[in-house]
Amino acid sequence: MKSRRTSLWHRLGSINLTIVLCIVLTMDLIWGYFCLERKTPIFTPLNDMGLWAWSKTYGLYNLQHTGWFFLLLVLLTAFSLNTFVCTTNRVQQLFASRRGGGQWLGKLAPHVMHYALIVILLGYLCSYLFTDVLTGRTLVPGSSLSLPDTGGTVSLLAYEPDYYHGKRLAFFDDAVITARFRLQLDDGNSQREAVLSCTRPVRFQGYSLHLKNFAPKKKGGMNRKTRVDLSIRKDPGVGIYLVGMGLFSLGLLLYFFDWVMIREKHSS
Amino acid sequence: MKKTLVIGLVACCLLALLTAGCRQENTPKTASGDEAERPAFLQIGEFAVHRISPTRTEVRDGAGRTLVLVPRDAPMPTDCPPNQVVRVPVQRIVAYGFFDIAVLRALGVLEDSLVGVTTPKNRWYIPEIVRGMQTGKISYVGDAAAIDYERLKQVEPELVLTWDPSIIPLLDDLKIPAAVTTTPTAMCLNARMRFVQFLAPFFHKEKEADAFFARIDSALSEIRARTAAATYEPKVMWGDIYEKRVMVEPGNAWVGELVGLAQSAYQFKDVFGTSCIEITVERFLYSGKDADIFFTYRSPDMGATSKAALARMNPLIKDIKPLRHGKVYAPLPHYSQSADKLDDILLEISAILHPEAYPNYRLRYFTELPDADPQPQEEKSL
Repeated sequence: MKSRRTSLWHRLGSINLTIVLCIVLTMDLIWGYFCLERKTPIFTPLNDMGLWAWSKTYGLYNLQHTGWFFLLLVLLTAFSLNTFVCTTNRVQQLFASRRGGGQWLGKLAPHVMHYALIVILLGYLCSYLFTDVLTGRTLVPGSSLSLPDTGGTVSLLAYEPDYYHGKRLAFFDDAVITARFRLQLDDGNSQREAVLSCTRPVRFQGYSLHLKNFAPKKKGGMNRKTRVDLSIRKDPGVGIYLVGMGLFSLGLLLYFFDWVMIREKHSS
Repeated sequence: MKKTLVIGLVACCLLALLTAGCRQENTPKTASGDEAERPAFLQIGEFAVHRISPTRTEVRDGAGRTLVLVPRDAPMPTDCPPNQVVRVPVQRIVAYGFFDIAVLRALGVLEDSLVGVTTPKNRWYIPEIVRGMQTGKISYVGDAAAIDYERLKQVEPELVLTWDPSIIPLLDDLKIPAAVTTTPTAMCLNARMRFVQFLAPFFHKEKEADAFFARIDSALSEIRARTAAATYEPKVMWGDIYEKRVMVEPGNAWVGELVGLAQSAYQFKDVFGTSCIEITVERFLYSGKDADIFFTYRSPDMGATSKAALARMNPLIKDIKPLRHGKVYAPLPHYSQSADKLDDILLEISAILHPEAYPNYRLRYFTELPDADPQPQEEKSL
């Protein structure tokens, strides 16, 4: 029994499996590229519905366009397992053969980065499975919305866009190049202001508020009423992939440490 | 071992490809009576209809909001905000867009359900609406850009169909559910044809919607058959230049797809995005250099009476090929309110692109612009 387990463990960590998985992943992603390009609306709801609900509806009913995605999940699971087993084997060997001094720490760098990638993938999986998303929330100046299960309300105070006034791109003249929305966040006890823009979500009461769409996008012309469409998310995966990124950065630091050690060794 | 592994993985891929190739006609169905044959989930472009149970249907509107449709006598669901619950069949509806209203007409619910519009009476060509506004059954609730909320409240709508998401916070305050019927990207041909199936569950008119879709589908088959032997592919552009902006229909819009389907070349095939998308003047003029047919957005009552009139309004386009040697078509005023005759409109566009395939066809929704406006009678007599 034990030998069977050991054998399975070694097979899972095989470099040949890694190569095969990489090839199949590449093929699958090429297939996915064409599906995504031609049938984007099928995949857009995945961001707010979550993986489970999406799989039961859009995924299941469009298998000819979503099959690659389910295969991708299987392949990424296999790839993560393979990476975990392979990395753990190497780390074990490294620990077993370590000698005095901290030099062996540098050799840990690639393994730390491999573990980090697994943690990042887990974070994404967690996001797609457990994120609570409030879609289609629109604010106009003076209006407000409440965040469920919290006492928090968000109000739109003002729209403060930056317009393009350069000479080189006449087509973009008077177009909004930075859309900034000043929000008031009220948690029931205190109020504060925050600025929301395309690359700057606002965090409040465990939720993150993202700018999805807005109007108007240009000065003059057909003046549309001021509004901001929000995507409001409570995403437990963020913490996990931040840990993964931290781990990845640690791996990079160890690489740097290793590089410095090798340089010093050569120079001495 | 290696061989087994490789074979296993390749088999997995093949299996996935094979299953992916099979269309899911046998996917789960709802279980009750007539509904048994209807798929539980239907995607219509960016819209979706999900029949959870006989007493609960969830729809996803153009803004990605989920609305829960429950029978009028069913208890209020507790798992969603009340302003996202719609009692069906809806009996009082306010609609913004001509397209939405034409779809209501196609479903046969226009006269009974429509109680408010955002276009004044003198701009309507749909007899039911003109009649309804005369009798006071249908109210003008103000222009779309300046809704009269007092009047809107008075008409007591159970649902508002709108293209303007900025109205939603105010409707939420009034506790009126709303569905956004436009999407960030233009509706493709399939979505345009199937949109009726998105509105159908609001009125329990699924059978009518299926019949409407079948009619349009058969019109498309006819177009394919008639134009299949066409030897010449005309180059088509659809849009207009306004004072400061150039707007066109992108390649992903239904008109772009229809042009391609009718053995023609759409000049803005590479443009992707929302319906009536803004492009540069240069791009428009470049496409106009070798286009054969130009569909303008302007109708004759908006000044599109002749090629010369268009050139006067927009001197920039006076040299594009359709204005010099080709053909220019303008929509007639009732065109935008005639989406319930989508099959006729598709056939007419096909007849314009390939007149040889439709001998003696008489235009009903578009008019071909003459080179110059006819001279007034007085001048002629002089």
